[in-house]
Amino acid sequence: MNLFAISINHRTAPVELRESLFLSEEEVRSLIDKAKSGLLKEGLILSTCNRTELYGIPADSSLNHPLLQKFIVENKNTLKISEENFQSFISRDSLEHLFRVATGIDSLLIGDNQVYKQVKDAFRISEEMQFAGFLMKRVFNAALKAGKRAITETAISEGAVTVAYAAVQLVEKIFSNLSKKSALVIGAGETGEIAAKHLIDRGIHKLTITNRTPDKAEKLAIKLDSSFLPFDQFKNHLHNFDIIVSATSAEDILISKKDVEAAMKKRDFASMVLMDIAVPRDIDPHSKQIDYVFYHDIDSLNIIVEQNLTKRKAEIPKVQKIINEELDSFFEWYNSLQSAPTIKNLRDHFETIRTKEVEKNINKFSTEDREKLEIVTKRIINKILHHPTTELRKVNESGTGAEDAVTKIGIIRSLFGIDKNKSEEEK
Amino acid sequence: MKPVIIFLNILLPILYFGTLSVYFYDFMRGEKKFFNAKRVLIFITLFTHIIYLFVRTSEFSHPPITNVFEIFTVLAFAITFSYFVLELVTDIRGTGPFIIIISFIFQLISSLFIQEQVVVKEVLKNNLLGSHVISALLGYSGFTISAVYGFLYLTLYKDLKKNRFGLIFNRLPNLEVLERLSFYSAIIGFILLSIAIIIGIIWLPKAFPDFSYLDPKLIGSGLVWLLYGIGILSKLLSKWKGKKLVLLSITGFLLALLSTIASNFLAHSFHSFY
Repeated sequence: MNLFAISINHRTAPVELRESLFLSEEEVRSLIDKAKSGLLKEGLILSTCNRTELYGIPADSSLNHPLLQKFIVENKNTLKISEENFQSFISRDSLEHLFRVATGIDSLLIGDNQVYKQVKDAFRISEEMQFAGFLMKRVFNAALKAGKRAITETAISEGAVTVAYAAVQLVEKIFSNLSKKSALVIGAGETGEIAAKHLIDRGIHKLTITNRTPDKAEKLAIKLDSSFLPFDQFKNHLHNFDIIVSATSAEDILISKKDVEAAMKKRDFASMVLMDIAVPRDIDPHSKQIDYVFYHDIDSLNIIVEQNLTKRKAEIPKVQKIINEELDSFFEWYNSLQSAPTIKNLRDHFETIRTKEVEKNINKFSTEDREKLEIVTKRIINKILHHPTTELRKVNESGTGAEDAVTKIGIIRSLFGIDKNKSEEEK
Repeated sequence: MKPVIIFLNILLPILYFGTLSVYFYDFMRGEKKFFNAKRVLIFITLFTHIIYLFVRTSEFSHPPITNVFEIFTVLAFAITFSYFVLELVTDIRGTGPFIIIISFIFQLISSLFIQEQVVVKEVLKNNLLGSHVISALLGYSGFTISAVYGFLYLTLYKDLKKNRFGLIFNRLPNLEVLERLSFYSAIIGFILLSIAIIIGIIWLPKAFPDFSYLDPKLIGSGLVWLLYGIGILSKLLSKWKGKKLVLLSITGFLLALLSTIASNFLAHSFHSFY
């Protein structure tokens, strides 16, 4: 199979280079337009914060990997990128790489199931741009199937692998239902925002944000549809929160043990979770000595992250098995797309229909007419199949490119339901 | 019938051990491999156990509550049955090994030492006594389960405080759920023990006209009842929660255990029939 693929990812290039090649949806669409004019017949472009990849069936035989790399680099004017920053694949290797990406085992964070959605989106764009033909549709359906199987049949995406998510996982080991709890996020930076989003995703009842720069906190509060608390007042309200996540860049301790003690007395020692994900720390670690105060800092959260990553790594062989199964299944289908077996399958298919119909109606004919019926129906079938058979033979002999032949054969097989009938017969 | 009783008596600890092993394997590995199988196995064990209890009752013409080893087998059944109902209602399946192990121990001791008891004291052949013992045993099963969940609560609480994220952290439900399970089991235990005490008060003067309210068993049961009553009331009035409550549950369970041992083996009590 003439499927080309190039990839720049976390293993081949530092973040600056990966960033320089990142393509927005608009840029992907414009690049597809360019690729369609003479470079690739069909394909797909995937661009995420960790990878930019191009898959495609060449428009002619002169295409090679350096040409594809040049195409993508020149488009972004990022001349610092060299050939070593790319991984190149062809045929089965391209497909296997795509499957590894879709299942998350090629990701920086192993098992990251975001990438499955990103592959799906990339495929949608390709389809909308008429860049996904018969073959590519099948390729990406197989990739998505592998991705889905990895998520449902293995634990590759289970457990938190980011500090912010680990914090939420820990909170859920203390409280049973976040929809009855309130949380305060101190710090409106990137980490604070991610933690706040995770809490919202898990259904937190009330979320409040505070930040030294009030504008930032207010903006984030509006963005996340939550409340805002002025920074100079938040200490007076600590007792109102079941969960406090602190992620500021403050140099000193923001919440002392005394503050926590006072808050706990006011809330009658109802459990309180303190997640200090700031470096240096924002909350006095001695607060953990107070009953019903669950204090965790970045180190303890990292323990959870490491544990989950180890568990995910242990799932890779299971995912690889799924990938191999899906690759085998794809190539079994692909190898059936050749003229000789297709002609035979097509003829068998029509012959089965003919025989069944003749058997069903044979009693309506006199004994002497029955032989004629056989001859006439066979002749009709032969005449119907004459043109498709000749065309199928020509497809392989004309040398117009194997992918054309595959497409035509595939369409015929799907049109007459040959594969469907075959699998029903096998069952 | 006797060969059936002997066969089931041998089979039951094996079934309990099998169920315990599957629950334990699932807890250790967390692969959910036996997610549904363990529920089927616990059901088979309980079903076999109930057949055993019926066959025994029918063969010896009295319910199996006339000696300590008969009581143990009923207790093993009651604990597992209560857990099974709790598992069905809450769908929390990770705590099974901690409870089934208790049933396994009770059943093993019972199977090893139980004897055919055809002749029983006249005082034990009474319907009120049957209801009294069954409600008391179910009540104590509730307290046992409550104490196990209380113990698990304390273990997870400690692990969370000390940043230990091992099996307990990964497999057990959260603290609030453990506290709730412990509390609800205690309530069920308390209600059933109250019923047992009421029946006992009605039946006692008829069976033992010269009984004393200072009997160690009566004092022990009264203390257990009072302790759980105080705990439940405090929780309902939002006075006690968390660690305090589960510690009370564990203390209540230990007190119940001590009172049983004291009244049956150490002190002289009218409540000791064997």
